[in-house]
Amino acid sequence: MAELDDIIHQPLRLKLMAALNALPVASGLEFARLKKLTGATDGNLGAHIETLAKAGYVSVDKAFVGKKPQTTVTATAAGRGAFARHVATLQEIIAGGQV
Amino acid sequence: MIDSKQASAALAEIDDIVQRVKQSQLYELASLAAIWWGVLVFAGNVVTWLWPYYAVYAWPAVDILGVGGLVAIRLLSPPHVQGAAFDIRLVLVFVLFFAFGYICTNMLGHFGPRQLGAFWPIYFMLFYTLAGLWFGTAFVAIGLGIIALTLIGFFWIGEAFPLWMAFVNGGGLILGGLWMRRI
Repeated sequence: MAELDDIIHQPLRLKLMAALNALPVASGLEFARLKKLTGATDGNLGAHIETLAKAGYVSVDKAFVGKKPQTTVTATAAGRGAFARHVATLQEIIAGGQV
Repeated sequence: MIDSKQASAALAEIDDIVQRVKQSQLYELASLAAIWWGVLVFAGNVVTWLWPYYAVYAWPAVDILGVGGLVAIRLLSPPHVQGAAFDIRLVLVFVLFFAFGYICTNMLGHFGPRQLGAFWPIYFMLFYTLAGLWFGTAFVAIGLGIIALTLIGFFWIGEAFPLWMAFVNGGGLILGGLWMRRI
């Protein structure tokens, strides 16, 4: 049985990857929207996005919309693959025992 | 190490967040549509209030611009909020909606301006409310709120009924649309 991905398995990072993976490829979500969807605080969300970015699972784009800074987070191909494997492992656990 | 119960909980969490993302995307599109229709309906009612003679031209224009605006919003939206591919059945929904309304108001009955002013918002908001049973409570709240205020206006507001409807229906859709963006 495959191993669970420790980076994705953390509850907030799992939510982030699930949200980003639900979008079409190359589409991202703004920081404010991710905050609303996950219910996380700014600091907590920022730290977990950074962890995912360091692992190469998400890309972070910072731009200005008018005068306001806007951060957009997008799942990378590696992130989508890792998330799919993580979900498959969860399903295997449900089907046949423990990891 | 996790057991199957924890794995099920993790998958349920994933399903939950995916549903919320989809609903948020739907609300994003629906809020733009509601604001667009709100502005048009507000204008249509103000025209009806100020220049009743021109109402006969104003309302078909509102309908055409309204449906055209929906198509434009759909086509101009970023890919992540577009959702499913364009479905010809959506066009059919509008054709059937207007055809059924026309049959009710012009063939089964002969509605006057006041009845028409109440019928179309109630009829439209009925579908809005029904859609909300599947797509989210914001639709239900906005739909039922506007239906209730329309009925209040129909029975208790006199000559100023079109002006009442400009604020209730037009304003209600605009506020509802803005509210959806904050959910």
